[in-house]
Amino acid sequence: MKKLGMPIGVALILIWCLLPVVWVISLSFKAPDSITVGNPGFWPADGTWAGWENYRQVWDNDQFKRAILNSLGISLIATGLSVMVATLAAYAIARLEFKGKRMVLSMALAIAMFPVVSLVGPLFDMWRAFGIYDTWIGLIIPYMSFTLPLAIWTLSAFFREIPWEMEQAAQVDGATSWQAFRKVIVPLAAPGVFTAAILTFFFAWNDFVFGISLTSTEAARPIPASLAFFTGPDPFTRPASLLAAAAVIATIPIIVIVLIFQRKIVAGLTSGAVKG
Amino acid sequence: MTHRSRALGTATSLGLVATLLSACGGSDKPVLNWYVNPDGVEVFEKYAEECSTGDYDIVLQQLPTSATDQRIQLARRLAAEDSSTDLMNLDPVFVAEFANAGWLAEIPEEKASEITDGGDYLAGPVETVTWDDGVFAIPMWANTQVLWYRRSLAEKAGLDMSQPVTWDQVIQAAADNNGSVGVQANKYEAYVVWINALVLGAGGAIITNNEEGRDADVGLDSDAGRKAAEVVQALADSDAAQSDLSVSNEGTSLGRMFPDPKGDQGAGEFMTNWTFVYKNYADLIGKPGGPADDKAFEDLGWARYPQTVEGETSQPPVGGIDIGVGAYSEHPEHAMAAAECITSQKAQVDLALDAGLMPSTNSAYDEVAQSGDYPEDLIELFRTSVDEGGPRPESAYYATISGAVQERWHSPASVDPDSTPEESADYLEDVLQGEALL
Amino acid sequence: MTTVTAPRADATNRGGGKVASDRARAENRLGQRLVAPAIVLMLIVTAFPMLRALWLSVFNYSLAAPDDREVVWAQNYLTALSDPLFWKTTVITVAYMVVTVAIELVIGFVFAMVMHRLVFARGIVRTSILIPYGIITVVSGFTWQFAFSSTNGFVNGWIPGIDDTFNWFGDTTPAVIAICISEIWKTTPFMSLLLLAGLAQVSEDMIEAAKVDGATWWQRLWKVVLPNMRAAIMVAVLFRALDAYRIFDNIFVMTNGAEDTASISFLTYRQTIEQLQLGMGSALSVLLFLSVLLIAWLIIKLFRVDLAQARQEG
Repeated sequence: MKKLGMPIGVALILIWCLLPVVWVISLSFKAPDSITVGNPGFWPADGTWAGWENYRQVWDNDQFKRAILNSLGISLIATGLSVMVATLAAYAIARLEFKGKRMVLSMALAIAMFPVVSLVGPLFDMWRAFGIYDTWIGLIIPYMSFTLPLAIWTLSAFFREIPWEMEQAAQVDGATSWQAFRKVIVPLAAPGVFTAAILTFFFAWNDFVFGISLTSTEAARPIPASLAFFTGPDPFTRPASLLAAAAVIATIPIIVIVLIFQRKIVAGLTSGAVKG
Repeated sequence: MTHRSRALGTATSLGLVATLLSACGGSDKPVLNWYVNPDGVEVFEKYAEECSTGDYDIVLQQLPTSATDQRIQLARRLAAEDSSTDLMNLDPVFVAEFANAGWLAEIPEEKASEITDGGDYLAGPVETVTWDDGVFAIPMWANTQVLWYRRSLAEKAGLDMSQPVTWDQVIQAAADNNGSVGVQANKYEAYVVWINALVLGAGGAIITNNEEGRDADVGLDSDAGRKAAEVVQALADSDAAQSDLSVSNEGTSLGRMFPDPKGDQGAGEFMTNWTFVYKNYADLIGKPGGPADDKAFEDLGWARYPQTVEGETSQPPVGGIDIGVGAYSEHPEHAMAAAECITSQKAQVDLALDAGLMPSTNSAYDEVAQSGDYPEDLIELFRTSVDEGGPRPESAYYATISGAVQERWHSPASVDPDSTPEESADYLEDVLQGEALL
Repeated sequence: MTTVTAPRADATNRGGGKVASDRARAENRLGQRLVAPAIVLMLIVTAFPMLRALWLSVFNYSLAAPDDREVVWAQNYLTALSDPLFWKTTVITVAYMVVTVAIELVIGFVFAMVMHRLVFARGIVRTSILIPYGIITVVSGFTWQFAFSSTNGFVNGWIPGIDDTFNWFGDTTPAVIAICISEIWKTTPFMSLLLLAGLAQVSEDMIEAAKVDGATWWQRLWKVVLPNMRAAIMVAVLFRALDAYRIFDNIFVMTNGAEDTASISFLTYRQTIEQLQLGMGSALSVLLFLSVLLIAWLIIKLFRVDLAQARQEG
């Protein structure tokens, strides 16, 4: 039982996680014409293999390309800023004693659980008053706020692991405090910061509610919203296979990040409790 | 189709480049943003370029596919008093709401009277652009639905298509002969198009006294409403219903007209659908989803929208696109001039010939008829359908009305003539009064 | 293989205690300064709009008719709370929450057990479990919507006893099932990783001791492993439950609220963004916020969730 359990378990996990991914890839190779007629089945039926045609069409779609640009730009900026702000806060939480520390953590937790939809009405109203409706800034601000809890949470867990005495030790050895910080602390803290950044990026990349509520043109519309409004060459037929191709393209960055950094992400999500 | 999309790709990238350039502030030439729905974009591209002058450039911005999403995107921009919303493609049902909210610039006297009194514009589209004694948009193209069918299927059923047919006859004919009936019954705007046409066809109306806004009279709880519900129920219960009826849209039933003869997908269908269907199948001859050859294509028939009640003239749905000018535009005069240019007769003819989107004026119709691209009787059918068609209710609260009707009439299988009309009428009244949630 | 977190250097023990109260004050000030930007950012986008929602909720205010704005006091709340649609969406939202969290807890735990004991193929397993975690929810929604589609999907063909033309989105129950499956697929990895963290905290010695005492695998699971990772399970449930209660993306993509699948978030969205009813929409926003608070409070009280313990803060 024990001998067999593991391989079965692994197989289960792999099927569970990858089957839908394989399916959406398979769907993205079905010819659009055959989708209109109906092309059921996991794999494209005989003679309905579209090759790269769907991908080429999606790639030629400037709205979608613009959405990729928006998503990359907005998510990266929000991630960078959010991690910077979170690093300051997490350092304070991990190393300093100050009044209101528990409050910060509870607040972060409360915000992580906040019902996002209840904010979009008033936020829309505020953003149009400030003139940042349908702009990158208009999305970066809420993304930062909503990724901060996750980033603070992860970073403070990481920072508590850092042997800060080493900094003092280095100073005793004659290093300036800046050198001590740069040579000793930065290398130790970097993996944590990096992990927090990846998790933050995932969150921003995934957001849909703000994406559809606070934008109205391709000026700032991110990928998830763009997918929901995706139009193929023929507006009257739902371009399932084109959409699948677009979905696959939108997933590629995630897969690349996951492939390279899986160890760090798992460590981040389990707050460093599980070593690689 | 692929060819079309490639053209679209290049065209939009030009547009994008133009946007970027103008965003960089390369010149002081004003840029007019033209928000377009995704239908017929390559013709819009052409006219964005042709109608740009030495004084301004027109740049396209594309809206989402569904009418509901288009409305949301535009309404939020306009509610934000956005000065960069200059020109917009409006579904006819948006006009009343937008005009009432003060989001649309009124069309100047001269053009307005040409639309209302000139006699060239067809009656259906004219009705859609007027609100509160003013004209708030210029009709660009006018859409309508007709009954598309396989001649062989109708023949087998012994249905005389030269005479007006009723929904009951069509459903019966399809069910008895291994055919199906294609409609649009997903929970979205086009389902209301169907319900509205059914109610109008039975001599009723979803609402009357529209100008009363929230206090308009709801007419669903009536014999006409019940008759409409009977048709929906008859189809939902019939063997002629397509399996995806509750999520069907303009595209889902296209494939059922010329099913793969090897499969067991039936002998074709009767389908109420917009004018684009003809061009759609003409482009698909010999391809999957289309007729096998020219001869099979000749089996595609068309007739006036079916009657709800036998003997009572049907009122085909009217759709299309009107061009509105944003009330907060920084360049209202330029935008108004551009609006006239992009709705010119030439543009209308191009839309019809290149994209299958039918004109809103008699003169443009004449020109399209002369081109020989469409069978003459089809052109006449489109023209009379638009002219005698029944638009959806013109009301500042149309989005609410549509949403409430969808809420109570969806799914089609749940429609019951004994309860649905009455319940939906009560609900619609409550929602309009703000006493019920939507 | 797995280890419990190394004991951390306790920040408070540095620098010799009470000696310098000046220093403590400086530290206090520095700490507050460092967290200030984060606090401000979090408040801008939550507290301020929430207050504004509270303000707007006393109006009958449609964006399409801004001039007709009038104060109606609590009327919006009364209308919402006495509306059958509000309660219907609340019930369905709770159903989404209970069903998805319960199933995820079971599957997630199995996955966590496998990953915990895994000696081979760790990279592959970890990578594949992170793909659903990282994938866009909208993509997951589309993927499953197409999978369940009768015209282009595969599910009807794979499940015996289901007609090839069965329309999953033609009735409430199958549509809810489809939505739940997409939600469960996407979020189980998150659950299993949180549980994995909990599993890692269970001392191996205790399990060994139980083994020596002759406890079966099943007994060890129920008597040793689960009680010892209680805090982690509760935190995972709390996080996921509140996340599931906010379900929106999948519904928007898969059914657009048809067939009574709309959740409370979807209803709120439709009022504010689609119908432009800022007054009623804001009232719903406030009610949604309060119901999330209520659920969080209930879970924390009922299950006595100790967040500090879950973070190993003792």
